[in-house]
Amino acid sequence: METAFEALIAFFLIVSGIFGFVGSFGLLKLRDAMSRLHAPTKATTLGVGGVLLASIFHSIAIEHHLSLHELLITLFLFLTAPVTAHFIAKAHIHMSETPETLPGAEQDGIWATHDVPVVEKTEGDKDSTA
Amino acid sequence: MSLFLIAALPFLGAVFPALLIRAGRNASSASAGATTFLALLGLLVNAPAVFRGEVVTARFDWLPGLGLNANFYLDGLGFLFAGLILGIGLLIILYARFYLSREDPMGQFYTYLLLFQGAMVGIVLSDNILLLLIFWELTSLSSFLLIGYWKHLPAGRQGARMALAVTGSGGLAMIAGMLILGNVVSSYDLTVILQNKELIQASPYYMPALILILLGAFTKSAQFPFHFWLPHAMAAPTPVSAYLHSATMVKAGLFLMARMWPVLAGTDAWFYIVATTGLITMVLGAVIALFKDDLKALLAFSTVSHLGLITMLLGFGTKIAAVVAVFHIINHATFKAALFMSAGIIDHETHTRDIKRLGGLRHLMPVTFVIATVAALSMAGIPPLNGFLSKEMMLEEAVHTTWLNSPYLVPGVVLIAALFSATYSFRFIAHVFLGPKRDDYPAKPHDPGVGMWLAPAILVTLVILIGLFSKAIVGPLVAVASGAVIGGGELPYYSLKIWHGFTPALYMSIVATVGAIVLLSVHGRFEQIWNAIPRPEAKVIFDAIIGGMTALSRKITEGLHNRSMARYSAIFVVFVVSLAGYAYYTGTDSVPTRIGIEPGIMPIIGWICLMGATICLVVFHHNRFVSLVLVGVVGLIISIGFNYLSAPDLALTQISVEVVTIILLLLALNFMPKETPWETTNERRFRDVIIAGISGLGVGGLIYALMMRDFAFPSISEFHLANSYKGGGGTNVVNVILVDFRGFDTFGEIIVLGIAALVIYALTEAVLGTRVRAHLLNRKPDMPQSGDAHPLMMVVVTRVMMPIALMVAAYIFFRGHNLPGGGFIAGLIAAIAFIMQYMASGFSWAAERQKVFYHGIIGSGVLIAAITGMGAWLNGKPFLTSAFGYIHWPPLEEFEWATAMGFDLGVFLAVVGAVMLALESLSRFAWQPGIASEHAMDINPARDDDEIDEKKEV
Repeated sequence: METAFEALIAFFLIVSGIFGFVGSFGLLKLRDAMSRLHAPTKATTLGVGGVLLASIFHSIAIEHHLSLHELLITLFLFLTAPVTAHFIAKAHIHMSETPETLPGAEQDGIWATHDVPVVEKTEGDKDSTA
Repeated sequence: MSLFLIAALPFLGAVFPALLIRAGRNASSASAGATTFLALLGLLVNAPAVFRGEVVTARFDWLPGLGLNANFYLDGLGFLFAGLILGIGLLIILYARFYLSREDPMGQFYTYLLLFQGAMVGIVLSDNILLLLIFWELTSLSSFLLIGYWKHLPAGRQGARMALAVTGSGGLAMIAGMLILGNVVSSYDLTVILQNKELIQASPYYMPALILILLGAFTKSAQFPFHFWLPHAMAAPTPVSAYLHSATMVKAGLFLMARMWPVLAGTDAWFYIVATTGLITMVLGAVIALFKDDLKALLAFSTVSHLGLITMLLGFGTKIAAVVAVFHIINHATFKAALFMSAGIIDHETHTRDIKRLGGLRHLMPVTFVIATVAALSMAGIPPLNGFLSKEMMLEEAVHTTWLNSPYLVPGVVLIAALFSATYSFRFIAHVFLGPKRDDYPAKPHDPGVGMWLAPAILVTLVILIGLFSKAIVGPLVAVASGAVIGGGELPYYSLKIWHGFTPALYMSIVATVGAIVLLSVHGRFEQIWNAIPRPEAKVIFDAIIGGMTALSRKITEGLHNRSMARYSAIFVVFVVSLAGYAYYTGTDSVPTRIGIEPGIMPIIGWICLMGATICLVVFHHNRFVSLVLVGVVGLIISIGFNYLSAPDLALTQISVEVVTIILLLLALNFMPKETPWETTNERRFRDVIIAGISGLGVGGLIYALMMRDFAFPSISEFHLANSYKGGGGTNVVNVILVDFRGFDTFGEIIVLGIAALVIYALTEAVLGTRVRAHLLNRKPDMPQSGDAHPLMMVVVTRVMMPIALMVAAYIFFRGHNLPGGGFIAGLIAAIAFIMQYMASGFSWAAERQKVFYHGIIGSGVLIAAITGMGAWLNGKPFLTSAFGYIHWPPLEEFEWATAMGFDLGVFLAVVGAVMLALESLSRFAWQPGIASEHAMDINPARDDDEIDEKKEV
């Protein structure tokens, strides 16, 4: 039984190591910002998740008590990682992209980040701002 | 009544007029009057004892370590002055009720007046010179408020400033003199000092102490050459002038000289400094007063002159002269206060104080005419009024005084002063009341209501009665007061009566009176000559001196820090480094007693990150966003470092402080340029690198050296570790130190924190009240704005996070006493939970849904902490002693309670309030019309978009 658990823990650790490495490697390797965003947010989050699973099993099997702190960490990770990625993407679109360089935004006409609300009266040339 | 209560009553009562003004002006003045009356009653209860020659005392050791004791004592002199202060104060309160107009904030006036009254009573009753100095400064401050009471008048503000500058700096000199005196006698108690005449006069410090104390007394009593502030202080409302500048405050200097008379007087230095100053002041004031057209200026200079007279008498140093001085203090207070009030009445009714525009008022204002005339005749020294008596006695003393072997100098100068004094008194009567009735008064003059003339009428009655029956009315008072001045022993023979026979003094009086009538008849021609002579204008000189001093201090200040952060940090760092270098090279070095531990891989990684971030910070600091991120990195590594080095409390604090700081800085960056311009030369940068490098390496080396050695003294951490659980009931030593061992520090700190937040709020308010507001409202963003500022994902996530974050805060709070955590960290976490809402949906949206004022949260935090601390009193323990115990409620496990929890709750609330208030204040700068969205998020699929579009089109 113990050995099986150890194998499980080792498996999660290895998986997390691989994902973590891939994520970090992707951050270096991928070409542009939007692609690079995928690496840490997806792969590395999974990697961290692996470590957390390993930790839970470790506490159950080796230390003989149930530890659920890791679940909380997972929860926070799942909450913060997408928001962070979202904001990085938004910042990128805002600073480095124009509506022309982006793929079309279907029926909305324009991506939300470019849809700047105009408070005061200006000679806006886009209908979308009205 | 205890002396404590007499001294404290005006201060306690000062609250009521300010509050009761809402119930009307009568209620306000009645409360002020009642307070004064009570204090006066308390004083009179002690009268029998004082007249028996006893000294009433009340002692309380306040700060024995400093020699500062709240000791009061009441002897004849104190009784006389306290009686004057409270008695005339009562009359002034009555008079002011009818003098002040509806537009004047009367509650404020009475509050200031009572504060002043309390400070004055404090001076005359103090038995401790340090206490006396405190009250002395308080009179300067409260009189500043009173003189500048009409804030809208530039003359009032300038006069108040001048009075404060002159009397305040004199007070500083006096502090030094008093401290010297206290050191010589090695006691700060007046009663002890007054016993040690020989010791003090034999001391080499006698001269400096004398000069410094006299500086204080002379500035306060407007003696030459400091006499100039008094006329400028006449910009005050007339009740203030009547109270401060005739009866009380300017007499504080005289009081002090009289008080110190037993130990300071009797030497040549005393005689030549004090008597000469008094003599000059007396004649100078009298001469100038004659040529003043402003009624109050005339009275002001005449006050200067009479103060000089009393100073001179005290300066003579003979016992009989001291008796005369005391007598004249009483007489001057009565007739001069009456005169000021009459001048106020004239000003009030005719709307002018210019003598040239007055005249013939005797028919129009008969009551005022009688009052003012009697008072002025007394001032001129006409029998049978009280002014005559003391003037006669003064002349008698002057005749017997030799100045530098010349027996004629003092009598001669005094005669001139008496002549001018009688002249301006006559002028006051003749040019205001006598003469033909005019038809060009600025207003229709008539006698005021009884409320206004009652107070001066009472005083004038006293003037007459004291003149006629002086021995019966003031005889005992003069006796006990003079007895106190001369410091025990037999009183010399004197008699308070009108007729002394044909003495030189009588001849001098006759000469002065007759001469005055002659002089007045040629006053017009005299005045032309006077106006033709160039004279130094005191205000110009004063302004030049103050201007010069301001320029000098500005030069020094700007030389040291010219608003360049680099400049003053360089000065500071170089100074500290050279100090440390000096200490290092002159001190001895010890060998290291500890061995270092081998660094593991984790510390090395942390170190590399820290160094990397720091170096990047140096390289990229021109980009402020990047440097902010790097600062964040440094902060995070430091908190990890704390955790690694077994300081979880510090780590938690550091990380939460870091988050809040970065958010606040980001907010501030919103209003600032995003780049720091390149403005230093290469040489400057090289210099700065050297300074920074040396100081950094120096500090590093110092810490290394410190850590390699055992402490030179045993550390107190042993005590804390041993007593944390036993004494404080908690196993988290850090928290127990904060809420228990050093609870008082923490209490102070949360107050400071709250004040800091309130200051930020106040600054914001002040800035937004100026033109900056318009600028901010029209501000265009300095960089392109993005759409979808409040994205759905962020909004939803922060809503989910809020209860969790608050729960974490609660958890951290409750476990704080025994495990890492506590009120401070919990407060920061709770603040972050709220800040997240602000960030997600925008400040305006969140602020509209935030119903509690942060001011109140700060206040309640401080109050809760204070109440918890005071709870210890119920237990008979000192403030903030914590108690703890255990509770067992069946379904739950046994748990501990500690009063420290309540204190920690106060810390928690203060932190939450302070952080949020700071944030709110900064956010208010960004507010612009139309910025507030009624929706929590910009794009919400659940919302009907058509509705929005319609709205937008409208």
